[in-house]
Amino acid sequence: MGRGYIVEALVEQYLVNLQTVHASCISGILIGQCSSQRDYVVLAAQTPQKDCGAVRGCSLGDLDADWVTEHGRQVSRMLPGGLSVLGVFLITSPDLSKEAQNTLRKLVYAMEKLISMGRLWNLTEEDVSERVGLHICSKTKKAVCRTFDVRDPKSSARPADWKYQSGVSDSWPVLKCSVDLDLYFPLSETSSENLENSVKIGLQKWAKQMESSVCLINGKHSDSDAEFMCIGFWWLLSLRCLCRPPQMSSALGEQRSSAAAEACGGSLTLAGVLQCRAYLHSHKLKARQAAEAIKRDIMNTLSSRTEMFFEDLLINEGDGKMASQQPLPQRVFAPLPGTSLSLCDYMFPDEGAAEVGERFKEMLDFDIPEEQIDMTQERVALLLCTSGLGFATHSPCVESLNILPTSRFPPGIPVSSHSAKICRTISKLPVQL
Amino acid sequence: MVASDRSAIILRARGSLELRCLLDGTDGSHVQKAVSRAFERVRARVTSQALVFRVRDSPMFIWPNKGCQVTEGIAETTACKDLQQRLRSGEPDGGKRSSKKKDKRNGDTSVINIDLLMELTEPGREAGPTLTRREVRHHLAQMALPVDCVVTAGMDDGIGDAFSRLVGALCSQLTDMESAVLRHISGTSLLVPQPFHFHLPEPTGLVTLVYPTGVPDAQLESFRKEMHVRFALPEDRPYLRRANAYHFPGEPFKDGYLRNPHLALSHPALEDAKPFLVQGVYSYHHYMQDRMDDSGWGCAYRSLQTICSWFQQQGYTERVVPSHKEIQQALVDVGDKPSSFVGSRQWIGSIEVQAVLDQLLGITSRILFVSQGSELVNQGRELASHFQREGTPIMIGGGVLAHTILGVLWSETTGDIRFLILDPHYTGGEDLQLVTDKGWCGWKGMDFWDQRAYYNLCLPQRPRAI
Repeated sequence: MGRGYIVEALVEQYLVNLQTVHASCISGILIGQCSSQRDYVVLAAQTPQKDCGAVRGCSLGDLDADWVTEHGRQVSRMLPGGLSVLGVFLITSPDLSKEAQNTLRKLVYAMEKLISMGRLWNLTEEDVSERVGLHICSKTKKAVCRTFDVRDPKSSARPADWKYQSGVSDSWPVLKCSVDLDLYFPLSETSSENLENSVKIGLQKWAKQMESSVCLINGKHSDSDAEFMCIGFWWLLSLRCLCRPPQMSSALGEQRSSAAAEACGGSLTLAGVLQCRAYLHSHKLKARQAAEAIKRDIMNTLSSRTEMFFEDLLINEGDGKMASQQPLPQRVFAPLPGTSLSLCDYMFPDEGAAEVGERFKEMLDFDIPEEQIDMTQERVALLLCTSGLGFATHSPCVESLNILPTSRFPPGIPVSSHSAKICRTISKLPVQL
Repeated sequence: MVASDRSAIILRARGSLELRCLLDGTDGSHVQKAVSRAFERVRARVTSQALVFRVRDSPMFIWPNKGCQVTEGIAETTACKDLQQRLRSGEPDGGKRSSKKKDKRNGDTSVINIDLLMELTEPGREAGPTLTRREVRHHLAQMALPVDCVVTAGMDDGIGDAFSRLVGALCSQLTDMESAVLRHISGTSLLVPQPFHFHLPEPTGLVTLVYPTGVPDAQLESFRKEMHVRFALPEDRPYLRRANAYHFPGEPFKDGYLRNPHLALSHPALEDAKPFLVQGVYSYHHYMQDRMDDSGWGCAYRSLQTICSWFQQQGYTERVVPSHKEIQQALVDVGDKPSSFVGSRQWIGSIEVQAVLDQLLGITSRILFVSQGSELVNQGRELASHFQREGTPIMIGGGVLAHTILGVLWSETTGDIRFLILDPHYTGGEDLQLVTDKGWCGWKGMDFWDQRAYYNLCLPQRPRAI
């Protein structure tokens, strides 16, 4: 018995529309939520075109696997907790149907590998490890759905059920919280220029703390296998995350007798508030899994942002040098049409709703009017201080709060300049006009 | 013991708070300022709204700095005794194993244990995350402060009041820790300050002191002297050594040995007699423990181990209880036995016990010789006086057996005497019920002794020191 996929009716519409395009081969990704018995698909998005003017791929050989998987990685940054990239779809002409199965297999494994690389957490035994490869024949319109176990690359594909239904995500509860950050990253004496590495190490420690933290949903500790719904009306959810302070003991469980000391060439501090969100399916979800979903979102949003920050630094500053104080990109949300879900994106200080809208169109292939993009969830600090103000404490030396409808910096303060290229990591992806 | 005061309840909060010192310079005043600043930040966190108390073995979470917000079921004005009642009855919360554990405990939940947590979703800041870079070379000293503080509350006191006092206790402990760290600083090396609780004679009660890890008791004598004066303690016996730390009811002993099994016994009825018992805490050492099969030959070694455990737990020595081999080696080292003695299964007697106590622990002992067992009846005054003055366990060897005497029940008028005996020949597990039921620790009469054998008693003397 294979897995079952419950697919949003809007996805069916989207796939049908794609099939009318004259091309031998269209690839894309499928997005939704896993649950123990079945998965829910809420969105499908085709792989963006590589270069304007190029003819859509004629054969599977032309398919750029790196491009497809990179698209998956970028999109996974835009998904709040609970949602993930579930797999890949291919629409091909009948003669390519057989080859398509092999391609799907390669793509599914490669995508999973790429997406899990930057993560601060790992899949556990309890997580669903099956990812889907969907093939649609452009002539017969027949859909063949198979799953691949990403934990076992040698395993054979298993057939799965693909069923359309409307209002799949209608009754999905959402968990929201704001998480306070106050992190300190020491920079070693010898490589004080390698900021990204120091931050990565620091984030891994922080992630361990996050994973072991206590989640209270509606005042109850959610570490049990009790069904989530039983702990209260889902629409009155309040969420609190409590952190167990670190033990810092040696392997033998004995306490250190003196402070751990190291000489540093400098330091980075990261302070502020993260807006986090997780969507939960409503079918037999355990309290523990709900807590896990929001914790993962907390970890993802921070790791995505820091990754993007350093990628941007590299592209724009060339030598990777950062100013004495720079904000991480701000998280914004946009509703997914036809559903009650919102997806997210990260906006750099010199960007606005227009850029975000363009990214949604390019990455996820849907239009979103600028006014629907919610940029009020996170506030941006108006930075007034400059470096060299002597001994700084662990929080930014001066901070004044302002709610800016867009996060454009007043002129005169140096910001990282974004060129016309919107997609910050792939310089290949062109600007959509 | 604290349990005697039925109208009081102890709230104990434990946790680990991160201390991060950024030392821009390594000279004294720089370091001092940096350490003080770091402690200031920790105190700020503890008094912030993000502090959360979690009551152990319960689903209760309390925010003491937020007007004492709590999770459902209790309120700020709930009396401490009601809180205790809820813990005792074991609330149903998803079938936790805690309710089974309560039966095993000695039923005395006069301590409410609390863990410290910090809330992450309580934003102190409101803006999105910002990275700030400092290019100053500095030293980073980090440690986890093992906070452990107690407050005593009346049964009818509201928990809101008790918890805010607990927060106050946390702050003052942090200040004590700051002093301890600064007092023992050397260069950029900071010692981890560790709190110890001591149950001092009434009316003082529970007192908490902070000692730096790694500094032996001997080096802290001047500090202890000050404290002895402050708390009006006698100058000739230790109260404030690490080993004297109060053992909270319900906490298991890490080593697993039984402590003071004699306390589970009741005195036999003896006309006009008074009990003279060992003072303080000892561990019960007997055959077959520590995976050492010494059945048939090790009884005196075990009695010696019990005596060593007494000196360790009263704070007279930091030396752990020696093994059979270590005891034998000590005798070789003083020249009393040939080197082949080590690893053998040879018996030892009171003289050897005296020698080992001197060699390993620096303890002097008196030897009492009794020419025949029946003469022990005349030793009442001597033994009573020993327990009053020294209060140490006595090793007695004679015939072919060795035992430990933990006390006597003696009548000055009739001369009647009973002996409280701890028998090292027991081969079972650490089961208090079994040990007391079967008399492995029990009151014995004169018929316990071999009337015609001669006996040697080793009476260890308590050093006069703090």
